[in-house]
Amino acid sequence: MLANEKLILALPRGRILDEVLPLIGRAGLEPEDAFHRDDARQLRFSTSDPSVDIIRVRSFDVATIVAFGAAHMGVAGADVLLEFESREIYAPLDLDLGHCRMVVAAPGDLVKRDNPKRWSHIRIATKYPEITKRHFAARGVQAECVKLSGAVEIAPALGLCERIVDLVSTGATLKANGLVEVEEIARISSRLAVNRTALKTRSDEVSKWIARFREAADARPA
Amino acid sequence: MTDRVHRALLPAGLKDVLPPDAESEATVRETLISAFVSRGYDRVKPPLIEFEDSLVSGSGEATSSQTFRMMDPVSQLMLGVRPDMTLQVARIATTRLIDEPRPLRLSYAGEVLRVRGSSLRPERQFAQVGAELIGSDKPEADAEVILMAGEALNAAGADGLSVDLGLPTLVAAICREHGVDPQGNDGVLRGALNQKDAAAIKQFGGPAAPVLGELLAAAGGAAPAIERISGIDLPDDAEREWSHLVSVAEIVKRRAPSLELTIDPVEIRGYEYHSGVTFTIFSKSARGELGRGGRYIAGNGAETAGEAATGITLFLDTVIRSLPDSPQPKRIYLPTGSSPEDARRLRAEGWITVPSLSAEEDGAHRARALGCTHILVDGEVSGIGAGGGAPDG
Repeated sequence: MLANEKLILALPRGRILDEVLPLIGRAGLEPEDAFHRDDARQLRFSTSDPSVDIIRVRSFDVATIVAFGAAHMGVAGADVLLEFESREIYAPLDLDLGHCRMVVAAPGDLVKRDNPKRWSHIRIATKYPEITKRHFAARGVQAECVKLSGAVEIAPALGLCERIVDLVSTGATLKANGLVEVEEIARISSRLAVNRTALKTRSDEVSKWIARFREAADARPA
Repeated sequence: MTDRVHRALLPAGLKDVLPPDAESEATVRETLISAFVSRGYDRVKPPLIEFEDSLVSGSGEATSSQTFRMMDPVSQLMLGVRPDMTLQVARIATTRLIDEPRPLRLSYAGEVLRVRGSSLRPERQFAQVGAELIGSDKPEADAEVILMAGEALNAAGADGLSVDLGLPTLVAAICREHGVDPQGNDGVLRGALNQKDAAAIKQFGGPAAPVLGELLAAAGGAAPAIERISGIDLPDDAEREWSHLVSVAEIVKRRAPSLELTIDPVEIRGYEYHSGVTFTIFSKSARGELGRGGRYIAGNGAETAGEAATGITLFLDTVIRSLPDSPQPKRIYLPTGSSPEDARRLRAEGWITVPSLSAEEDGAHRARALGCTHILVDGEVSGIGAGGGAPDG
């Protein structure tokens, strides 16, 4: 499957895509027209470079697909890579876009009366159970995670749990749901993710693209 | 769990290997090990289970978390099932074979058991075929092992091979020199190095960040990587090991120009017990590693300093996934009354012979059902047409 075939670049759907497209354009990759049509059912697209195809998938799936070598390269948030933590993925390049932060948040009144030092077990709603468990285990707290796929901020108000771990960029969603940030777990940005075997067996090609994406990231208009 | 388990269900990561896969696995295993044996690597066979203490002491600590353990009711001591065979062979070399002249060349093949599979290798039990060269610290020894593994894999039908050279001690030496602890702060720097996360290395690398960043950027094809890294100012002990790696790369390049050679100076994961140059073998036609190995100290532990050793372990499951489908052997049906001499002659010619047990089952129809492509008619080999049923001569 990694033989002398086209290189496949996996891009995440959604918000990040709008930031990624100008960057890959500067790197010399223009997706075919169908890519920009919202009604396209197609999932794999050719590009201006005959040796590279693009696939468009959910952001979490970028990590899975690159880890298994089904795509040779991809764009994924550091949040997804941290959660997935695969030894088959390298992240050699920070694309310096999609900036946000991963934080622990809780209702304001809880924060006032709470003493985190006394915790032995907490329940947390999150899209990121692995990162959350690791983060709290490192300080001796067992985190029981309720895995949600979205609308995490509403969980405390519904009594599902008292705290959440989620991404914030402006903090407006937290505020609207009566939550305050308790601590920051990580600063997040999008990375170029590369499959390990592809980097070893198609070293020249893949290295060439890493270099082009690096130049494109550096050449971003301020 | 009170529900009865279905009889066919096996624990995660374990499987029954069926025809024809079991046969082709055995063939590949034999091809690989005989390539080692024919180059002077004498075969040894350690046991499946050992005392935990000898299995996980010294260099074995790295594989400790992958070891299944059980209590020995006889000795009342804890036993471990081997998660890897290299350290068993190193134990043999530095105990029972301690008086054998050096360099000592040993090979082995066998099954290992691990507590957890990985995403690319969900199997918890799989076969390893390996070779160890004990008692030499020369680059020629490492090159010999790499070249031999490449030839063994070629003999088994693998091609499009590439070898990635690494030096896990380099990162350690650089961190030491700059007073940075890669395990500190919850291992963030180590994690960043493992994932080649340039941004995180910059963020958490402290004073070592610039040189680690340069090393990371230098990873790639051997020739440019050597040129780039040789320009970096390395700590003294690291400099010595780096020039060892360069010598290995030069020998391999000279003797096997078709082998793609890459260098990854920041690869550390999975090389916990290695003490110098490491190598990982990839194939264009398989995800994951076909094999890995490198330099280590054989028999180090509480009492002994150990000896310089190098070796390679091939992972049979990945090797087989990288191979093109092998042609099925010819299979011939012997109706009742076929002569034993004919049968012997056919087998000697490489046929698989399948005898009929009763005259009612002598027909081509039955032969086809049993997977035969040919049938013996009046002492003559006769092909069975795919649809017609009549022998087509």
